[in-house]
Amino acid sequence: MRNRLILSALTAAFLSVPPIAQAEVGNSPETLALAGILDNDTFDRAGLSIGHRAQYWMPVFDTLLYTAPDGKTMPNLATEWRFNGDGTELTLKLREGVKFTDGTPFNAEAVKANIEYLRDGVGQNTWMAGAVKSVEIVGPAELKLHLKEPDPGMLFNLATVGGAMASPATLGKADSKMLPVGSGPYIYDTARSVTGRQYVYKRNPDYWNAGAFPFETMTITPINDLSARMNALKSGQVDAGAGEGQVVTEAEASKLTVSRLPVDWLGLFLSDRDGKMVKALSDVRVRRALNMAFDEKAILKFVARGYGEVTDQPFVPPSEAFDPSLDGTYQYAPKAARALLAEAGYPNGFSVTMPDIGTLAPYTPIITQQLKDIGVTVNWVKVPPNVTIAELLSGKYPMFLFRLGSQSPWADFNKFAFANSPWNTSKAKDEKLEALLKKAQYTPPGKEQNAAMQAANRYMVENAFFAPWFRIDSIYISNAQVKVQMQAQNIVPWPRNYAPAK
Amino acid sequence: MIRYLLKRVASGIALLCLVSTVTFMMVFGATGNVARNILGENATAEQVTALNSRLGLDRPLMVQFGDWVSHAIRGDLGPSWTMSESVASALASRLPVTLSMVTIAVAMMALLSAMLGIAAAVRGGWADRAIQIVSVAGFAMPNFWLGLLLVLTFSVQLGWLPATGYVSFGASPSAWAASLVLPVTALVLSGIASASQQIRGAVIDALKQDYVRTLRARGVSPRSVLYRHALRNAMPAALTVLSVQFIALLGGAAVIERVFAIPGMGSLTVSAALIGDVPVLMGVVVTLIIVVVLVNILIDFLNAWANPKVRMS
Repeated sequence: MRNRLILSALTAAFLSVPPIAQAEVGNSPETLALAGILDNDTFDRAGLSIGHRAQYWMPVFDTLLYTAPDGKTMPNLATEWRFNGDGTELTLKLREGVKFTDGTPFNAEAVKANIEYLRDGVGQNTWMAGAVKSVEIVGPAELKLHLKEPDPGMLFNLATVGGAMASPATLGKADSKMLPVGSGPYIYDTARSVTGRQYVYKRNPDYWNAGAFPFETMTITPINDLSARMNALKSGQVDAGAGEGQVVTEAEASKLTVSRLPVDWLGLFLSDRDGKMVKALSDVRVRRALNMAFDEKAILKFVARGYGEVTDQPFVPPSEAFDPSLDGTYQYAPKAARALLAEAGYPNGFSVTMPDIGTLAPYTPIITQQLKDIGVTVNWVKVPPNVTIAELLSGKYPMFLFRLGSQSPWADFNKFAFANSPWNTSKAKDEKLEALLKKAQYTPPGKEQNAAMQAANRYMVENAFFAPWFRIDSIYISNAQVKVQMQAQNIVPWPRNYAPAK
Repeated sequence: MIRYLLKRVASGIALLCLVSTVTFMMVFGATGNVARNILGENATAEQVTALNSRLGLDRPLMVQFGDWVSHAIRGDLGPSWTMSESVASALASRLPVTLSMVTIAVAMMALLSAMLGIAAAVRGGWADRAIQIVSVAGFAMPNFWLGLLLVLTFSVQLGWLPATGYVSFGASPSAWAASLVLPVTALVLSGIASASQQIRGAVIDALKQDYVRTLRARGVSPRSVLYRHALRNAMPAALTVLSVQFIALLGGAAVIERVFAIPGMGSLTVSAALIGDVPVLMGVVVTLIIVVVLVNILIDFLNAWANPKVRMS
């Protein structure tokens, strides 16, 4: 009797652990069930991200503009836009009759509040509003962004985090990190979502463009592990999720659809162009020799399984700075590379310290061997995964291998081309390049501006700022229930790129 | 007994203080890159400095520690640096997930290893050898590998059970049970070997004792000798193994949580460690120590209940 009582008490104690929240909305034909690689970190307007995490906020926060799958900028909440002559004023006309789901009207005041909140906030993408000096309200449905200087990336920014619109009533509120309120195609279903487990979105009945979002419900389940993601896809728990090269064969054998599009590029950043740490790197002949030292075709084929395209430039199409004629500038030619090194005064090569990054470990022995073939010795320094970015940006390393995402060309130039750019880790200044960039910045948008950006790209390629290897395909896997269009300049598709297969 | 328990609680509190202090000094001493991780590559040095200041990381380490302790003893583990929820909220949603998985696994392990261990000890011969081979085979198979095998068979091929995820008991008891079947099976199969071997050895030892011979001589039934007397004496060893298993599973759940995409303590710890979310790491450490201390006290209770010698000592 006593034993039974104890057993009953233990059972009751275990079962009485209160259910923290409900979750697990199952998949169905009316539901778009996505697997996310990363968990969402915040819904705070100032902390939103692009890349993988864009899928979490985009259902709720509509954007002023949007980028079509081919990268073209399209109207959305802003129906028209116009730059002034010198590119320092951007006039936006807004869609009328739109309301946030808390009843707050969407108008010029709401846009001003959102842009100023982002610009003055703390987050990874506050830079997207960094060029905005002030916001002038022309009328309820029209406003002007006064820029500190022309920002050729502004339209791309307004199509992503820079243009995301949250209800002004929620901006800065503590609970806005977990309870997003927007005017987008879906409403975040707090009752059925559990942070870290599953995020559930139900259709916004008042959305102005419901036809573009055919699913009644959308769920995103964070599944970090590739095998688990594949199992969830194969068993039908989720409709789509990011893949990797090593599972393409398995996915195809399981009758899943594999979509591919290059978004990132992989290559060496030859940062110490002033030769502060390794004098040899200040000589353009040495940097060109490094570009000729790697058999990128073989590396792409045998390590990256062929999912990509060999390149010599740090831009990925459809970036306006991309110039197809630059691919092929440097061919794999170790003998010629050794000759260039000798000509530069390094017949016996030189030594260089590089960071050994866990995620790029398969490439470490290849770099060691192929640089050794031209006489360059690499000393590797292990970098823990939690400090990788900070270590690379610290400027400690004269050169390093990294995989960088390509976005709008101006965002990319800002990442690595200016003296104060974060990925110009040695802060090397090049006045000729900055003059080319200034010209691109002050040229009105269009063919001339694209040509100016390509000229800046050409300068960087010819002066071997990098040793790019190849553009890497983003691999995305979906089941037979959905059709997916890949998104240019983002590693996963936007929520509007999905449709039922039937 | 009460004095003994008070001593155990006091030593648990001392352990909690010691491990928390050491962990704090280790992890807070290496927070130089946290602000950069949070703000990303495009943040300026000024923005990084401002965030460091906002997080209080520009203060002396001892001041930070004092601040953390003063909040922690009031149950306030602070906000996460990288997630939208507080540390307490993150732990409250993840701990039941891991605890339910591990508790059920250990309960199943106890039941199965007791059956196997007793059968092997009592029957001997081919049954003993067969059980030993099966248990050692389970031990040799890593739980993540078993997990993958189970998912491929029962989720992908047969479609009987969910491949990934976790459902709260309150949302649907049947879906909750279904979401735990495969991860628990993987944990049980790979952990059953040591417990069953321990029980087998302890029962064999107990059955060789003089008092067992006396009981048999007095005509006590073999069933009563085994279950009422020998098993009770064998229990402390088995309980110790199971408590060690529980603690090991609690710490090692990260692997199986990853295979089944279960959002528990393991996955929380890994993601917090990778990005340097120190408040979450501290919360995890404190919570796990409390659970470990409570499990040890519970085991002491069970030992005392099962074996009068323990109560006497």
